[in-house]
Amino acid sequence: MKIKTLLVNMTCALGLALAGSASAQEQGGNFVYLVQPEPPSLASFLSTSGPIGLVAPKIYEGLLDYDNDLNIVPALAESYEVSEDGKTVTFKIREGVTWHDGEPFTSEDVAFSIMEILKKVHPRGPASFAEVTSVDTPDATTAIFNLENPAPYMLRALSGYESPMVPKHLLEGTDPRNSDLATNPVGTGPYVFEEWKKGQYILLTKNENYWKEGLPYLDRVVARFVPDASTRTAAMENGEVMYGAYGAIPNIDAVRLREMDGFSVSTDGYAMINPMALVEFNSTREPFDKPEVRKAISLAIDRNFLIDNIWFGYGNAATSALSSNFSATGLYKAEPEAYPESPDVDAAIALLDEAGVTPGDDGVRLTATLDLIPYGEDWRRAGEYMKQALMPLGIEIELRYEDVPTWLKRVYQDYDFDLTMNYFYQLPDPVLGVHRHYATSQIRQGTHFVNSSQYSNPELDELLAAATTEADADKRAEIYGQVQDILAEDMPVMNLFEMEFLNVFSDKLHGHDASALGAYGSFDQVWIEK
Amino acid sequence: MTFWKLFARNRSAVMGLVIIFLIIFMALTAPLFFPADPFSLAGQPMSPPGENGFLLGSDSLGRDVAAGIAHGAKTSLLIGLLATLVAVFVGVIMGALAGYYGGFIDNLLMRATEMFQTIPSFIFAILLVAIMKPSIESIVIAIAVVSWPAVARLVRGEFLSLRGREFVQACHTIGMNDIRIMLAEMLPNCLSPIIVIGSLMVATAILIESGLAFLGLGDPNIMSWGFQVGAGRTLLRSAWWVCTFPGIAILLTVLAINLVGEGLNDALNPRLRERT
Repeated sequence: MKIKTLLVNMTCALGLALAGSASAQEQGGNFVYLVQPEPPSLASFLSTSGPIGLVAPKIYEGLLDYDNDLNIVPALAESYEVSEDGKTVTFKIREGVTWHDGEPFTSEDVAFSIMEILKKVHPRGPASFAEVTSVDTPDATTAIFNLENPAPYMLRALSGYESPMVPKHLLEGTDPRNSDLATNPVGTGPYVFEEWKKGQYILLTKNENYWKEGLPYLDRVVARFVPDASTRTAAMENGEVMYGAYGAIPNIDAVRLREMDGFSVSTDGYAMINPMALVEFNSTREPFDKPEVRKAISLAIDRNFLIDNIWFGYGNAATSALSSNFSATGLYKAEPEAYPESPDVDAAIALLDEAGVTPGDDGVRLTATLDLIPYGEDWRRAGEYMKQALMPLGIEIELRYEDVPTWLKRVYQDYDFDLTMNYFYQLPDPVLGVHRHYATSQIRQGTHFVNSSQYSNPELDELLAAATTEADADKRAEIYGQVQDILAEDMPVMNLFEMEFLNVFSDKLHGHDASALGAYGSFDQVWIEK
Repeated sequence: MTFWKLFARNRSAVMGLVIIFLIIFMALTAPLFFPADPFSLAGQPMSPPGENGFLLGSDSLGRDVAAGIAHGAKTSLLIGLLATLVAVFVGVIMGALAGYYGGFIDNLLMRATEMFQTIPSFIFAILLVAIMKPSIESIVIAIAVVSWPAVARLVRGEFLSLRGREFVQACHTIGMNDIRIMLAEMLPNCLSPIIVIGSLMVATAILIESGLAFLGLGDPNIMSWGFQVGAGRTLLRSAWWVCTFPGIAILLTVLAINLVGEGLNDALNPRLRERT
């Protein structure tokens, strides 16, 4: 009998943790950290936009959490049990947890969050919970997930960042896309939403009724928005803020702060995120409907130039549709032909000729607009580099830099773009983070960070479907090998490089690295040394 | 005394004029001295001035700062001039109509002008560019929109005082139509203050453009000084030259234009003619 159980006595674990360093942790204090840019909303059940992830998981929690070794840790679920055939997952829901408005949290909320919200309106939820046909709630503390096929990856997608549990009593019968919760969130997490001063900060206060005894330590958590990069660094230096992740402090300044007393830099807390910088092509627009054109552009880019000169050496050149981090699970396959080590302009030109995209009298083969992800200066520099790098091919690029909502709408709602620079999280399993780029079913107008290329290939769809339910590791690796071959040939999305984000923080700050999710974690164990 | 002699009495104005001519010369000859695209990745990134063949150094992508300044001069001057022309054109029409007709039209136009004046001009410009998406056209429009009210008020004042003068009444008597009186008789009499305010507006326009580009609202496809300063700002502590030299260029240009404006004021204002 193969029953996987996880029964961790939370009080025991917590007791041990507290006993170890109980005297060291100090209560109280205000913790100010950087969030860049300002989130468009706090509806983490609707959008996975980066800045939302920096704030919302402090308010909303998931069924599970993950420690720094990627082990599963109980959260709102005390334990779970997977049936022998893998088609039933039973969660034991924690008793005595209340929403911030005082209502009790029950298995009804779990069923509603999964079936009505995450499966329907979340960008990645439909993939994470594709196999879930129903959630049974025999009592208030039991939630039984019934699956069509085994879905081992699902247990990696239950964090408060990835799959937040939302209050049924506030969302039922309303349109979740226009919910009041977007700006006035109500969760079960360690911090309670207090105030959002647009353009300045979001203020969260301590949840006095938090279910983890003795936590959180802090009185208040403040997410500060500072649009200017140098000002952010200055705020860190003079102690106004204590923590900045996801590039809030530009790499050039991080490298400098690293050498200063009182500050540290780490690259931890991104293992579940697996970020990849990339360019999405609009495959419905000429001439980007031709795979040769998309591939030619990939051949002409010097990925190491971007890493060395714009990201100060943090990052690795992409070599396939999957990040090389997946080599740990054997899923990664290098595609050197489509992702050469150094740019090959001649081969790129040959490909363009082959595609019939020939130069006009002025030597220009095509003109296109490159939209830049509006997340800071680095992306602008990268766009300026791309423009120069594509000139020898006879490709004229116009750069466009808009604000976040306009850009999201243009790319994911209106599909009014040629190519756009972006970054995606590949997450701990390709089913969660990579399929959404390429599957036909992921052409979901209005949903952010899915298949905006509108690429559709039935052969690939079949392989992706097979990889989703394949339990055998070797067979799965073989399927992903074929997937990567097809994507290297078709290249609806051109990967640039595997990103390494930096956390910059004051040495007085502790406990911010308690979860594998890093800055996307709940910060429940953060404390400040006085 | 001739206009030139009056102008030349102000030494600093002459110096300003020389600087402006030098900058215009630089803008015109930029393609000769720096034939490559100023955005081109010309060599070793972050080279200090004088090294690796970069007179004023290179930025984080290896773009030549000197080439950027030379090519950026054209952008800055062009935007300054175009925006000022548009603003003066609109301002003169509004001010002339308000001042000449008075009454209801005056009230209507001046309330509209005041509406524009109550919004802080730079913030208004940011708003306009953000709405229209950053491009050279939208920047010119934004600067013109925030600049014209000053011209309109000035022209209205002048027209109000000219309206009752004998020569204007004489024009009425001989049956000239309104448009001709305004254009051919009254406007030439208030040209000098318009020229002075216009010249100063060019400087303001260049500053606004630089400020917008600095905040990332410049046209990302066109090299300008503000863009250079904005792009080099994060490097200030490790590569000071990237934003220092374009910053000096902005400073010199704006200063020179202000000096010339002052000189024009001295030369054109009859009340100051005898000033020593």
